[in-house]
Amino acid sequence: MSPEVLHPATLEETLAVLEAYGEEARLLAGGTALVLLLRHGLIAPRALICLEEVSELQSIQFNEDHVWIGAMIRLQTLARSPRIRALFPVLAMACGEVGNIRIRYQATLGGNLAEADYASDPPIALITLDAIVWVQKAEGKRAIPIAGFFQGLYTTALEPCELIVGIQIPYPPPGARMAYLKFRTRSAEDRPCVGVAALGVFEDGICQDLRVAVGAACERPQRLPEVEQLAVGRSLDERVIRLIAQGYADQIETLSDLRGSADYRKRMIEVHVRRALEEVCNGHGAIGAGAGR
Amino acid sequence: MKQTFELRVNGRVHRIEAAPDRRLLEVLREDLGLGSVREGCGIGMCGACTVLLGGRPVSSCLLLVSQVHHQEIVTVEGLEENGALHPVQRAFIEHFAFQCAYCTPGFVLSAVAMLEREPDPDEQVLLEYLSGNLCRCGSYLNILKAVRAAAQGRRLHSS
Repeated sequence: MSPEVLHPATLEETLAVLEAYGEEARLLAGGTALVLLLRHGLIAPRALICLEEVSELQSIQFNEDHVWIGAMIRLQTLARSPRIRALFPVLAMACGEVGNIRIRYQATLGGNLAEADYASDPPIALITLDAIVWVQKAEGKRAIPIAGFFQGLYTTALEPCELIVGIQIPYPPPGARMAYLKFRTRSAEDRPCVGVAALGVFEDGICQDLRVAVGAACERPQRLPEVEQLAVGRSLDERVIRLIAQGYADQIETLSDLRGSADYRKRMIEVHVRRALEEVCNGHGAIGAGAGR
Repeated sequence: MKQTFELRVNGRVHRIEAAPDRRLLEVLREDLGLGSVREGCGIGMCGACTVLLGGRPVSSCLLLVSQVHHQEIVTVEGLEENGALHPVQRAFIEHFAFQCAYCTPGFVLSAVAMLEREPDPDEQVLLEYLSGNLCRCGSYLNILKAVRAAAQGRRLHSS
């Protein structure tokens, strides 16, 4: 039976219909993932709540110390926005690597996070940026640090009747260098076998802050703070880079799928963490403009 | 449970009856007879079902009719102006940018969408917009020549 499709115009209306239908409703953002799930009969909701017209979810705001990205902002907008590219090049790069141009013009950042597909590029970048996911239900809203938002395969910290309203990203320190590497094993438009995002802050060649996230190779994108710490207070020479790359390969619990075996992925993590760090410290990595805007 | 939708396609408003979860692809092909919109992979990878939605290239196999009913939809049937083919269509003919032509409408619309936004596309932009369309005959070289020529023509026209 066909689901009913609802078109709330405000966040308040959306929360009310979510509450009314409970688990029998699904939120429809861009639809690139949800339409396939419907067609293959993997979900059969009584109602779809289309978010296309919900005004509160549609804006990007550059605030004093962070940017706010509404949940319905499309990946192509983030990939091409000059200000996002200048401030958060790692996010623009990751969004620009998703699927193909049509997917990027349809899929939204909120939908991407809510789906929590392990083989997806934007979440990996957002973890290095210490993004905060704002979620809301009828009782109120709360902030979830992105590292805790992803809980496993297709599993998030979202509660029943809760939706993502937007993503808040603090401005990284001025001069932070960033890189995103997507390693594909099959075709140009494929999802990643391994994705690596890196962000480094240097002063006189000495690393002040290093953040490295690995995803697509494991159930959820991850950072390893103890391994990141190996860089702080040092210059990232070849030896330190190899140590960090080795640390990620050793400690990330990889999975096997059509894009590569768990063992292969460990080797590829080592290679791509190393390459991402080389980009970040050789100055090839894109340099964030910092909070000055 | 069918509903009535008003779809704006190629400059005309069509009233159709459809289940709200019917795909835009099926509505365009079967209800409106727009045979240029084709199903290839059915999962948004091949680009054979590309349409322009408010000027954005999208896969009509991944959209429900109820998602699009307020926005302008364009298929290649709507590209002609005063009986003349769109410059991108003419370039495809001049450069013989097809063999079987199953993929052609999708490629043409991706190129049109690109030129609307990027009047002076470099090779990177060209690939950004066109790499998501697949041609199983392998006519890629001629397709790229055609789109480069259309972009060049637009530059000459506007200067």
